[in-house]
This record gives sequence, structure tokens and C-alpha cells, in this order.
Amino acid sequence: MDLIANLATGFAVALTPANLGFCFIGALIGTLVGVLPGIAPITTIAILLPFTFTLPPASSLIMLAGIFYGAQYGGSTTAILVNVPGESSSIVTCLDGHQMAKQGRAGPALAIAAIASFFAGTVSTLVIATASVPMSWLALKFNAPEYFSLMVLGLTGAVVLAHGAPEKAVAMVLVGLLLGLVGIDVNTGAPRMTMDIAELGDGIGFVPVAIGLFGFAELAIALGQPQDRNLLSVKLSSLWPSREEIRQCIPAMIRGTAIGSVLGVLPGGGAALSSFAAYAVEKKSARDPSRFGRGAIEGVAAPEAANNAGAQTSFIPLLTLGIPGNAIMALMVGAMMIQGVQPGPQVMTAQPQLFWGVIASMWLGNLMLIVLNLPMIGLWVALLRVPYRLMFPAIVLFCCIGTYSTGNTVFDVWVMLLFGVLGVFFVKVGAEPAPFILGFILGPLMEENFRRAMYLSRGDATVFVERPISATLLAMSVALLVILVLPAVKRKREEVFKE
Amino acid sequence: MTLKINIPDLAFAAFLVAIGAFAFALASELTVGTAAAMGPGYVPRGLAIVVMIYGAVLGLRAMFAGHAALPDIAWRPLILISASVALFAAMLPYAGLALSSLTVVICAGFASYDVRLHENAVLAVALAAFSVLLFVTVLGLPIPVRPQW
Repeated sequence: MDLIANLATGFAVALTPANLGFCFIGALIGTLVGVLPGIAPITTIAILLPFTFTLPPASSLIMLAGIFYGAQYGGSTTAILVNVPGESSSIVTCLDGHQMAKQGRAGPALAIAAIASFFAGTVSTLVIATASVPMSWLALKFNAPEYFSLMVLGLTGAVVLAHGAPEKAVAMVLVGLLLGLVGIDVNTGAPRMTMDIAELGDGIGFVPVAIGLFGFAELAIALGQPQDRNLLSVKLSSLWPSREEIRQCIPAMIRGTAIGSVLGVLPGGGAALSSFAAYAVEKKSARDPSRFGRGAIEGVAAPEAANNAGAQTSFIPLLTLGIPGNAIMALMVGAMMIQGVQPGPQVMTAQPQLFWGVIASMWLGNLMLIVLNLPMIGLWVALLRVPYRLMFPAIVLFCCIGTYSTGNTVFDVWVMLLFGVLGVFFVKVGAEPAPFILGFILGPLMEENFRRAMYLSRGDATVFVERPISATLLAMSVALLVILVLPAVKRKREEVFKE
Repeated sequence: MTLKINIPDLAFAAFLVAIGAFAFALASELTVGTAAAMGPGYVPRGLAIVVMIYGAVLGLRAMFAGHAALPDIAWRPLILISASVALFAAMLPYAGLALSSLTVVICAGFASYDVRLHENAVLAVALAAFSVLLFVTVLGLPIPVRPQW
């Protein structure tokens, strides 16, 4: 197995006309929702999931991945031009990007954002390709106790990085785990907590839950808030940054890519965290930190590189270990399982076409995005002028049709409604839905590994700390939780999320 | 002395206790088994108990956490969007996709405070036609289009 041959396999899959088409559609839709504030990538992926189920597994994952990294691109356009982050991962891009636009340098800001994203996308595609193989060797050493402990670590990461109160995030994980268990027990065939409802035999549908929590609830809340979009009338005179600006950006881009690649792999990490961290590093390491917030081009390059790198490397734990690191990856797990692909290290060996095809498509998608985005900026700006009242009824309708079409039953639509109302409740009481969906996806997997581990150890729970890898993973989880409750870190964390 | 209750925290705690108790009741008919050979009820019951206790602790803490009111809920969008989803679920098997889509868009449109009647009607017709065309004609999803009387 060597890198070139693997990538060749991947490109052979990704370059088929059909898959190129799906990659393009995904990247285009992703950019579209990235540009529009109020529609998060997770919402879009949730809504579009059901429509990808009719596609072959590789095409469906290629398209969903395209939506994800496309959204990272699109988000920056809105951030720079309107000072409204299209996505949470482009919040920091607003700081300097919008200042640049105000100074008449919108063109270079947009170009640098696109170039930095493409650079990071290229590097992180290579990172995924090289890191995946050793990661999957590691995974071969994994047995039931290790998988269980790894999932504990993943959930702990989700708690630590959740916005809002961590104790509520813990509760959300627990409720997610509990509701994930509804349905027929795989070991004994006994229906569990189904209230004798036949539709619940396979568990509470994952698509209705995701669309309810992330589609319905977001809409109901966004509509209650005033909509203001003051479009800056920017003149896109020159798109190209000066040589001086490029020279300033190269080190920032490299640092941003490195930070994003590392943070993306961490459980609970991903695009938003990476962009915050990269911006902080640039500001700290700059010779003149006061330039930041006043249109420093590094303040655009670094976070844009970081969020794209982070978005892509967060696929590593998913593709190699089958463990989602954040809520979007949890949706990808759901998509894979509905496609009949059990996520895990065996995907790479059993279905190399799928695995490498998705990786190769990421690079192609990034290439398409840079070609697409810069000339089409005018179109995206025009889209921003479409009032929200014309968009959201369409989203409500797609939520309904999408939910229905997963199982062709209106039962799922009722479930979606229930979880939508619950989602509004969660937001109003300050509990994040992202840890819930992770727990919900991991619930059955964790229980299975827990039961298997306990069965093999004859009921002795020390098995989780006796095996070195498992013990290390658990120790890391404990360390994360301890750090979280330290007063100094607690204060710092609040500051970070306030920004 | 008046209690300084954090209402959002208390509401969340009450939700946890309720869902834990509900799950516990549903799981109580399942065999528990032993740690070495767990029955289908072992993990659900354990988790339900943990959720209940966790909720109770959070609830107790919320009683003394200092006063915080529940944030305002925008009822109009919540109710109208809920209604449009409910209408879709209730209508689709009988009225078909075209009529259901039309109803959803019209109903959901009123969730926005700046709805305009004509615009909304045009949007509803356009989206109904678009969804039939895209989902049934192009994507071939098995959704009934016409009313089934």
C-alpha cells in the first residue's frame, strides 16, 4: 500500500463524470448555504441526507463532504462583505476581512480567503491520505474496551468544546445515549422502549432527529430574531492582492493550516475551533498586534486556512476509526450506516474505492471551489439580497419532504416535529444539541462494545483500565474534564466563547 | 426568604428527570442480566437512573443558583412552523405532494413577521411545482403526487 497507488485509486473513482458531478453539486450547495447566514452546514447536511440515499455510497459521501467544505468557503464571503458570519467557523474572518472591505480591499480579502482555503485543502487532503494508513493500523489493535474508551473520549471532547454550560452538555450526551438505545436489541432481539410502536423497531430515526434539532429548531429561532443585512456596497475593483500582501500571508497560511490540521483531528474539534485558535496565534505572534482588527490580511489568511484544514482533517477519526469527532461527522456516520457501510478501520481495506475516492474528491472539490468562487462572487452577493421570508418556507418544505422520504412514512415527520420543538426548548434553556446527536449516534455502538468488553472480562470492569490503550484514552478523558473544572480555564473558556 | 430560582436550569432538570423516569418505566419490563451477561435492559436502566439522578442534582442546584428568567420565546414562528409540519404529516397520505406542499408554504410563510400575501401565494405555487418536479419527476422518490380519495 503506498500513497501514490492509493491516491490513483481514489482519483479513478472521483474523476468519473457522475462523481465529478456530485462533487460539484455538493461544493456548489455548500457554498450557497455558506454564503447565506442562518442556514448552517449541519442543517443543510441533515436536510439533504435523505436525498443522497438513492446514490451509491461513494457518490453520496462525496457530495455530503462537498457541502461541508464548500460551506467553509462560502462563509467567508459573507463575513467579508456583510460582516455577518455565514458560518460559525468564519466569525473571526469578520474581524479583519470586513475591515479590509471597508477600506476598499474586499477583492484581495476574498481572493486571499479563497487561496488560503485552497492551500489548506490541498495540504490537509495529503495529511488525511498519509495519516489514515497508520491510524488504521492502530485501529487494528483496538478491541471492544478500546472502542468504548475512545467513544468516551470523543464524547468528553464534545462536552468540553460545547458552547454554554458543560454540565448541560454532559446531560445532553446522556440523554442522547439513552434515546439512541430505543429499538430492537441486536443481541437478544428484544424490542426496547418502543411502546409497541412498529416504526420504532429500528430505533428513533436518525434523519428526523437531526432535521428536527438542526433544521426545524434553527428556523423557528432565527425567525424570532430581527433580520438585518446591511450589504456593504463594495466595489470589486481589483481581485488580486499585491505581492507584498501575498508575502505577508504565506507564513500565516502555513501556520493556520498546521493548527487546523491538528485541531480538526481532536475529538470535538473541527472548523470553528481551528479558526479561533489560528487567529489568536497570528495576533500573538505578530510584530505589531494592533494591526489586527483593522484589516490585517494575515487575520483573514490564517483562520480561513485553519477552518478549511480543520473541516477536512475532522474526517480522519471518522474514516479510520469510525468515530465521529463532532456533530457533522455524526451525521456522516448516520449517512454511511444507512448506506450499509459500517464505519471503521475495515472501510479502508474492504472498500478502498469508497475510502480513497472520498479523499481524492476533497482535493478536486477544493479546486472546483476556487475556480467557481472567485468569478461567481457577484452572484453570491446578489443572493444575499434575497429576503429571508422567501427562503425559509422552502426550507420548511424540504425538511418535511426529506424526512418523509427516508422511510416513506409520515411517522418520521411527526418525530421530526417532536424533536424540532424539543430543539427549541434545548436552545432556550441553554443546552446545545450537538452533544446530544453525538450521544445518540454513539449510544448503540458504545453499548455494544461495553457489553462485549464486559462479557469477555466476565463482568470485571477493570478491563477498561488494565489495557494500556484503553487506560490512556480514559485518562485523557479524565484530564479533559479536570482541566474544564479548573477555575482559571473556566474563565478563559467563557472569554473565548464570548468573542 | 424568597428562593432565587434559575428557571431555565430548573426546566432542563425537570426534563431530564421526566425523560429518565419515562425511559426507566419503559425499560423496567426488560431483563437486566448480570454484568458478565447483560440483558437488553441493563444499559437502558442504568442510563435512565443516571439521567434521573443527574437531573435531580441539577434541579436542586438551580433552586439556589440565583434568579434567571426563561428567555422570550417567539411563539408566532414556533407555532406556525409546527402547524405547517403537522399539516404536511396529516395531509400527505391523502392529499398528495402537490396540495401538501402548497399548504406547507402558505402556512409557514405566516411565521415571518413581514409576510406578504401575494408574494407568499406565488411562492407556494412555484415551490409546489418545483418539489413535484424535482423530487418525483427527477429524483423518482415514491411520493404520492395527486390526492388519493
